[in-house]
Amino acid sequence: MVDHHPAAVEVEDLHVSYGATPVLTGVALTVPAGGGVCVTGENGIGKSTLLRCVSSLQQPDSGEIRVFGGAPGATPEFWRAVVTTVEPPTWYPGLTVREHVELVCRANGQDPEQAGIDEALERFGLTGHADAIPPSLSSGQKQRLTLAVALIRPSSLLILDEPEQRLDPDGRKEVAALLADYVAGGGSLLMASHDEEFAAASGAEVTTMESLSA
Amino acid sequence: MTSATVPLAPVRRWISRRQSAHRERGATAGNIYFALLFVAVVGGMVHKQLAVVFWPTAPNASRLAAASLVPVLFGLLYLALRRFGPLALSRPAASWLLPAPVSRRRLLLPSLRLTAIVAAIVGALAGLAIVGHAAPRTLGGPQVCLLATGAALIGIALLLVALAAQAGGRWGDRVDALVSLLLAAGLAGLIADSTSGGDVPAIGWPPAPVLLPLVGTLALAVGSLFAFSVRGLARTPNERILEAAKTAGTLFDTAFGVEPSFLTDMIERRYWAHRRLRSVRFPARLPVLVTQDVLLVVRRRKRLLWLALLAALPVLLGHAPHWLIGVAVLIGALLAASTSAGNVKTDAGNPVLLRLLGLSSRRAISQRLWVPGVLAALWSALALGLLTALGELPAGQWWALGLAVGPVGAVAAVRRARVGFVRNELLPLDTPMGTVSTGPLVNAAIGPDALLLGLPALVEIAQGHPLSWNTVLIQAVVGGIGARAYITGTTSNERVELSAR
Repeated sequence: MVDHHPAAVEVEDLHVSYGATPVLTGVALTVPAGGGVCVTGENGIGKSTLLRCVSSLQQPDSGEIRVFGGAPGATPEFWRAVVTTVEPPTWYPGLTVREHVELVCRANGQDPEQAGIDEALERFGLTGHADAIPPSLSSGQKQRLTLAVALIRPSSLLILDEPEQRLDPDGRKEVAALLADYVAGGGSLLMASHDEEFAAASGAEVTTMESLSA
Repeated sequence: MTSATVPLAPVRRWISRRQSAHRERGATAGNIYFALLFVAVVGGMVHKQLAVVFWPTAPNASRLAAASLVPVLFGLLYLALRRFGPLALSRPAASWLLPAPVSRRRLLLPSLRLTAIVAAIVGALAGLAIVGHAAPRTLGGPQVCLLATGAALIGIALLLVALAAQAGGRWGDRVDALVSLLLAAGLAGLIADSTSGGDVPAIGWPPAPVLLPLVGTLALAVGSLFAFSVRGLARTPNERILEAAKTAGTLFDTAFGVEPSFLTDMIERRYWAHRRLRSVRFPARLPVLVTQDVLLVVRRRKRLLWLALLAALPVLLGHAPHWLIGVAVLIGALLAASTSAGNVKTDAGNPVLLRLLGLSSRRAISQRLWVPGVLAALWSALALGLLTALGELPAGQWWALGLAVGPVGAVAAVRRARVGFVRNELLPLDTPMGTVSTGPLVNAAIGPDALLLGLPALVEIAQGHPLSWNTVLIQAVVGGIGARAYITGTTSNERVELSAR
């Protein structure tokens, strides 16, 4: 992945339809490298579909998508640069919350002592649940764990689908601040959200789905 | 607020009327007809095999074998009842009728009745099989009937114990542990019997006049316990019924979709939900996914114990043709390896975590093959070593051949774990007995087919000659090359997901 490309994500003339129902018609979008874009819009307008296409998890009917100048793909290089929470994870059986975080750190070649696993758990309010298994967590806590894992490993682009979902107000503020730090640190961010306050706090440029469509 | 309960029967009648209104006329009758036809045709096809299982031409089990069969068969019945409830509701009933102001006892009674009938039938069949294998053919019809009735009553009694355990506290877990222990002892007895070759006794079965009062008393006791249980039915806690309803629903899904993974996944989830874990730090030297697999194995030590015990099972085939022992060892290697292939199954079902890990599918599978391989190698070595020690195999260091089978078990287990859901869109086969869908058949073969890599070991065991080291070497090479080819053929350095998109 070329991280020095001027644009993290470029989408041109994207068309997607489910059966006879068009969802995305001529969508165009650019996320500058080191910048953040938040897409808003009502339910069913195609935010998640757009994010899925950019994450290479869905084939568009037509249109062009480039992530750091290349086609999104299933290669290890792509997934080392891109982290997405568009799809919910299935947690590994018999592995605790902390061990999930450590597993991701180690697989990405990080030294777990340096990666700040305990700090990350603390920040996301999961310290008391470090020894729990993820399926036993509440839905909000699962969302916190997903974000903790997504943010602790190195990446160049975060693609988040409604990261504020199921979080309490304090959690939203925390996550927004972390995302702002991520972008300030040179990372790029593409997310969909219903919470404009949250989006503004995360430093992302807010845009509506309608304004992206042709 | 009123305390009056809504009568349940009209609600149930209304539901069944509405449901049948959406079905085709005569569909239920047709289903019953096909079920009966199926039982008749299959029964006709396998009646000889059934006779061997339940009533061989001459009794062939020693006293030890018969005594061991009792805890094995009834222990399995009890543990199965515990796993599946035993008291369950259908999922819709659990959602809509359980929270409704209806009589709890009436709601649960049909389920209890049905389970009691099943437990009685299974108990009677188990009793009949034990009598058929152990009792002399001079036993009269009334005696056999009384013994089978007694066994059916024991089946119901076990159901009532399981029912109390379902509603009760932690003593249920202790009873489960005790029954597992009895089951293990029974298996040990069977193995001891097959190695000692105990003779078949001709006497020792009580006559009908002695049996009659015994069975009568048992019937009285079970009957009153049953009545007592029905009175206490309303006290079964909600969460237990909900859990059992989910089990029943999953069982239905499993049977309907021919998809056993629904059931195994549910059992796995429940197991971990009840465990208390402590996070460990991963050692830096081991590859990260190997560490994870080791952790999973270490956390399920009890399963290792069972695996070690099951390594003695091929001994039971001592009198069977040797190729059957070979097949049993290969299947055992697959099962042993499968116990640590759970993480592959998670990744194959949902690659989200694999993407977060950012490892290529080749690196992931290469790491994931290690622990299953070691388990399969150790299990086969143990099984073949036991067979050698008990003199069931000709001379040679057979355990070494077992070690060489390790990679074969690993490849088969990982291949099995990567199979997705059954593909029901495959063309069905039309046979004279009805339509057979090929999807489940094809699905069931994926994984075990890789056991063909164990052919050198199988041939060597089947021949019954002393073991040659050449075979060990050939098996090791074939297993190694097979594993290598499996990795190169099914994974890629350029792909994270386990299956190509």
